[in-house]
Amino acid sequence: MTLVQTRPGTPLPAERGVPGRIRVVSGITVASLALLFVALALGSSAARDGLQVIGRDAGPQVVATAGLYLALSDMDAQVANVLVMGDGYPREREAAITRYEQQRSVANQALLKAFELSGDNPAERRTVQSVLDGLGRYERLAGQALLLDERSGHAPGPPPDEVVLAYRDATDLMRKVLLPQAYNLTLENGTIVRRTYDEKAFTVPLVRDAVVVAGVVAIGCLIWLQIFLARRFRRIFGPALIAATLTTAVALVYGVGVLGQDMQALRTAKSDGFDSVLTLAKARAISNSMQGDQSRYLLDKERADTYEHTYLDKSMSVIYFEAGNLDAYHRKVTTGSKDFLGLLGPELVGKEGRDALDAYRDFQAADVKFRRLVLGDRANEAVAERLGPVTTTFTAYDEALLELAETHQGVFKRAIDMGESALNTLWLLLPFSIGAIGLLVIAGVWPRLKEYR
Amino acid sequence: MKRALAVVLAVAAVLVTGCGLSDQESILDKDEIVIGVRPDLPLVGFRRADGRFEGFDVDVARYVAGKLDKEFTFLPTLAAARDDVLVDGRADMVVATYTISQDRKAKVLFAGPYHISYQDILIRANETIKNVRDLEGRRICEVTGANAAKRVVEERKVAARVVPFPDYRQCLAALKSNQVDAVTTNDVILAGLAAQDGSGLRLANAQFNEQRSGIGLPKGDVPACEAVNRAITDMYQDGTAAKLLKKWFGTSGLDLDTIAVPQFEGCS
Repeated sequence: MTLVQTRPGTPLPAERGVPGRIRVVSGITVASLALLFVALALGSSAARDGLQVIGRDAGPQVVATAGLYLALSDMDAQVANVLVMGDGYPREREAAITRYEQQRSVANQALLKAFELSGDNPAERRTVQSVLDGLGRYERLAGQALLLDERSGHAPGPPPDEVVLAYRDATDLMRKVLLPQAYNLTLENGTIVRRTYDEKAFTVPLVRDAVVVAGVVAIGCLIWLQIFLARRFRRIFGPALIAATLTTAVALVYGVGVLGQDMQALRTAKSDGFDSVLTLAKARAISNSMQGDQSRYLLDKERADTYEHTYLDKSMSVIYFEAGNLDAYHRKVTTGSKDFLGLLGPELVGKEGRDALDAYRDFQAADVKFRRLVLGDRANEAVAERLGPVTTTFTAYDEALLELAETHQGVFKRAIDMGESALNTLWLLLPFSIGAIGLLVIAGVWPRLKEYR
Repeated sequence: MKRALAVVLAVAAVLVTGCGLSDQESILDKDEIVIGVRPDLPLVGFRRADGRFEGFDVDVARYVAGKLDKEFTFLPTLAAARDDVLVDGRADMVVATYTISQDRKAKVLFAGPYHISYQDILIRANETIKNVRDLEGRRICEVTGANAAKRVVEERKVAARVVPFPDYRQCLAALKSNQVDAVTTNDVILAGLAAQDGSGLRLANAQFNEQRSGIGLPKGDVPACEAVNRAITDMYQDGTAAKLLKKWFGTSGLDLDTIAVPQFEGCS
């Protein structure tokens, strides 16, 4: 089988030259193959890191901290509700107290989860700790207000001044100290996701290009080696080298495909999933404190103007219509213009979006009626309106937002899972293809070199 | 081999040009930034006779620039010019009792707020006005271009009698000479005016409209906005915010019972 090429009289350097050139080209082939796989490993671990940070840390942290905000905000709203019920609603009072206790336990769990997910971020940890400390103080202050209220035994409507003053201490702590920290924690995760995404959107394509370059060089070398050996040794082809070339080509195409898929997964997870989940979490948080402002507006006459203004301010940040005062805003919202800005502007699309907008309108319409009763000094009816239609419409609106958020959460989760499973398959196949290509190159080159021994 | 080399070079060339095409520039990429501050508000942002700037906003601006590790210069910026200096690029950042509003967000990006202030009422020492409802039928001063008086009449629907003046100095003179009964605007501005005046004018502590003072940035500069928010969080966590508020407003009659990091607007 082996054809001996050497003829008598051939100069020695040329003979040394053939195995030398085979060695050099084989060396370049192996080096570029190594580069190909190193680049693939780097690119896929960058992608994995991105999927981990966005999908397993920041994404769940947004859910945990948004849950914390909602629980805290609802605790304060329940206290305000109890304080305006007076002696008229024993059953509702008990239900509100129970809900307060439940929300406290939800808040505690969310705090634990947020602390766990904050990892080694010192500012986040300090924030969680500070909320934990403040929550203890809040419960004490709220407890005092509730106790004073129970003792006073007032009629439904605004409680006596001492109760209002005690509640102010509690609600100021909640609204000015605790809620902002919970909200900022949610936002901080938006920062983490954006930074991670921008970094990966830069490095992953760059590494992917390096993979392409290394792969093309490796395949070029393999083909060159094949042609060189064929000419030198008068063979048509060497099966081992062809198999090595094909395997490399498959590894290259597949690897580039996986990196592309992962970039797409990160993009989908962020733009179609996370960004909307975050925006809707913010909108739900702000909306929840709006309905607390309704009770506070009824409860604290002296601060009624402030609470009406914060209600308007929050309404405008959720769904913005240009309006100089709450009446004008109510008119614009309820008359059905679909042209609005604000947090929910880009989110309320499709049927689910329209449903959410309709639910928001109903809620604002209930608010109009509620405020009319408060201004008409019909405190008892105002309390009934607050506990009845206002709460019902708010719940429907909040559920519509939650439904939207869950749709995006699903998109987010699927994208992350898809990206991770593509990576897992790649990492499973990578060692085998490295081994196979290595063996095939050796099988193709080694016998030729041996002929020169 | 030559062909392979050509491919490598071609791909490298594509990569290099690709890297050059970055998104919008961030002020974080600059070594030196220009910060717009008010020159006309004592205690808040004020240019002294020697040309140096001082006040709460000025100290906040210094702290934030320090956290971002930037050299900086101040640009005196009056209320009406705040949007423009950011839009046309004369300033990279504006810290000038700049209230976050949905309208303004169409033109600029807000980091923060770094402080929540309230609309309040400045009155003579012997006056009994306690909250915004007490302004009904009373004369309040309106500074041309500011919307504080309008907010009393339109937003709060309190039928006060609005008397126009060109600036706060003349408003204060009118208040002292009984031509008007109250001056209303942002509480930090009123605290500064009262402190400068020194004749015993006082705040009613009515706190009726929440005003979120943000740090204005060029629209779209999300990385800068996030970095500034982190700096503001640090400012509250390391005690600087409390120190600065006490330094500037400790004796002004402003309510400083609760000092806590405000709820941020968010950068997107």
